[in-house]
Amino acid sequence: MDALQYVLPVFAPNVLWVIALGTIGGLIIGALPGLTATMGVALLIPLTFGMQPILGLNMLIGIYIGGIYGGCISAILLRTPGTPSSAATVLDGYPLAQKGQAGKALGMATIASFIGGIFAAVVLATLAPQLASFALQFGPAEYFALALFGLTIIASLSGDVLKGAIAGLAGVLISTVGADPISGALRYTFGVSGFASGFAFTPALIGLFALSEVFVQMEKIFADEGPAMKVSGRWPSLADMKESVPALIRGSIIGTIIGIIPGTGSGTASWIAYSEARRSSKTPEKFGTGHMPGVAATESANNAVCAAALIPLLALGVPGDVVTAVLMGGLMIQGLAPGPMLFQSRPDVIVGMFAGTFVATIFMFVFGMLGIGLFSRILMIPKRILTMSIVAFCFIGSFAINLNVVDLYTMVGFGVLGYGMQKFGFSQAALCIALILGPMAEANLRRGLLQSGDDVIAFVSTPICLLFLALAALSILLPLLRQFRGQTTIATPAQ
Amino acid sequence: MKLVLTAVIAAALCGGAGVAAAQDYPARPIQVVVPYSAGGGTDLSARIMAEVFQKHLDGSTMIIRNQPGGGGAIGTSAVLHARPDGYTLGTGSQGPLALLPHYGGTDYKLDDVEFIALMGRNLQILLGCSGAPFKNFDEFLAYAKENPGKVQVGNSGAGGANQIAMQAFAEKAGIKIADVPFGGASEAMTACVGGHIDATISTPAEAKAQVDAKAVTPIFIMEDKRIPDYPDTPTAVEKGIDFTWSSWKGIIGPKGMPDDVKKTLQQAFEETFNDPEFLKRMKDMGEFVEYRDAEGYEKLARKDSKEAEAVIRDLGMYGMNAK
Repeated sequence: MDALQYVLPVFAPNVLWVIALGTIGGLIIGALPGLTATMGVALLIPLTFGMQPILGLNMLIGIYIGGIYGGCISAILLRTPGTPSSAATVLDGYPLAQKGQAGKALGMATIASFIGGIFAAVVLATLAPQLASFALQFGPAEYFALALFGLTIIASLSGDVLKGAIAGLAGVLISTVGADPISGALRYTFGVSGFASGFAFTPALIGLFALSEVFVQMEKIFADEGPAMKVSGRWPSLADMKESVPALIRGSIIGTIIGIIPGTGSGTASWIAYSEARRSSKTPEKFGTGHMPGVAATESANNAVCAAALIPLLALGVPGDVVTAVLMGGLMIQGLAPGPMLFQSRPDVIVGMFAGTFVATIFMFVFGMLGIGLFSRILMIPKRILTMSIVAFCFIGSFAINLNVVDLYTMVGFGVLGYGMQKFGFSQAALCIALILGPMAEANLRRGLLQSGDDVIAFVSTPICLLFLALAALSILLPLLRQFRGQTTIATPAQ
Repeated sequence: MKLVLTAVIAAALCGGAGVAAAQDYPARPIQVVVPYSAGGGTDLSARIMAEVFQKHLDGSTMIIRNQPGGGGAIGTSAVLHARPDGYTLGTGSQGPLALLPHYGGTDYKLDDVEFIALMGRNLQILLGCSGAPFKNFDEFLAYAKENPGKVQVGNSGAGGANQIAMQAFAEKAGIKIADVPFGGASEAMTACVGGHIDATISTPAEAKAQVDAKAVTPIFIMEDKRIPDYPDTPTAVEKGIDFTWSSWKGIIGPKGMPDDVKKTLQQAFEETFNDPEFLKRMKDMGEFVEYRDAEGYEKLARKDSKEAEAVIRDLGMYGMNAK
């Protein structure tokens, strides 16, 4: 069989060794705030120059998969999203850790990442050429509809719809800082050239989630010093698993679809998966308080994106997300231009990368499971020392990403904002979603209007647009309807 | 007395430091600021360069530092405002040097740049997208003339080199086109392959796989002569339109570096950019290396800056970001 002859080289000891190394390296990079999977891949591309394609490219894939997974470690333990794709994992992962279930939360995240990753890898290996054309259907109108749908998640995510809307709209407003996507003019930068590209995203997230939590913890530390936290176990219980199955399936499918669509990545996927898991759950009120399916949904989705984003890259030469755009550089440096022709000219590379994706996902699972005991020891550190170390990490991580001092102001500013939001019950998640999707909605709305000559009909003219717009409408109306019905049922017995 | 002594010591120290800088250069690692994210074409080229450079300047270590943001303005500004001791250099690209200052909002001008050596150019090609109503240069021009302002040409960013190049071409060809800005070259290419725009600008290397797959069609090369990879694709010049455009990158530093340090650097970079290992690795990556000395590099930058200024004024975007 042809395929087998291309798969076997991946199991050569040196290739396995390099994939393992890449996966562990990615895991560490992902767990450290300020070092993202994108940077990990980018920085190691020059190293792959002298390597055989199968060796070099699979190392990069290992870093990618390890990196996206690694983000959940710091998200769960420290409320610091190691990579933007793990921001949604904070919502339930961190409360679980606070309840003394850090080990189990990490276990669930690892299992979910594994399931999502394998699911998408199967799709990649079997259906890549067939699904790739779906990626090309996305024009401005479709992207806008998708972004709009994503933004409506805010309504279902926040308990208080009004406060959620305020936080979300504030996020959209904040995301308009920087160069106008269509005219290039600078907006709301107050003459600070460092803000010309808007607020840097990772420092903003670190401030919003991590630094704000440091402030909250400080209040508690001054009040009393609690006992060191428990970090029992590693495998989620059978009941936890059973409860998480629907979230896992949804997360894997959503991650795969979002991964295929170019220009949208694991950040978007994990938020949509989280919101879908919550919406379809029988106990939505448990989400956000440390609920296993919450972790399962986000982590299965963001790791499904990895393999899925390779689909348009390998089949069409069009990167599925930021990391695969960088990975394209890794292919170019080998003299391999990704595109439909690559399937015919170098099937060994294509099949080798498919196989490498499986291997890296399996390594990720093994290392993740083995590492849980080690990772969660972080929480044995006395709170006051841990909290101060997180402050240091917030600053180092925010600076490392662009070496731009202005990003530190961004981080501190968002830290204070996040603290205020926590205090007054505004959803930080809503703000975060708006920061991701606001720019996508704006640029595509305006690009679409520009192309259609300000004709709004263009935005409802294709089936994909209509689908997402309908989903958006449902996602706003359902919570309202439920609230309304809830009120009437409560009201009835009183009469 | 004390004051005099201090002054003498200070003078001696300064003098000593000056001599040390000249003789011992480089005594510590040389930083090259890349004003873009890690993993892009400029970044990868710079990393290959850094490795080869160390062969040509004894005892040197070269470190690449990514400082992205503001379309390259932030990193470029950091280079031009660094201490002029030869330890902070940067990659100087067309956008931040020749275009951005015209919009205002940058804290540097082209006059602040010390040019050291040109590394290479990025050739540009216009591509017809899938489903576009033209398949070659003549059809493109005829269609654009019949439908003024209807041809939608994607570019890699508002006010970026692609948009300026396309408008400069339109001006010379006597046509009107509609710019559709995207967030980066790969987004624009994706839209082109998907048929959401009519045409887009790319580099010959990046477009090669899509052209081979017949997903897009080459319209013309923005050089004065055809290039070997695209023997059947015409230039605008041969079609009677005096238009060429390429973007470029080289090595720059702040003004005021000691002359001998500058000379040492210029020579080392000249050797680096002509090193067979460097040439081979760049070629494999699809990069077009073209060494020019400091003078030639500056001339190219000034020519493009002048041409861009005219287009930017025409577009009404001149000084739009000035404080």
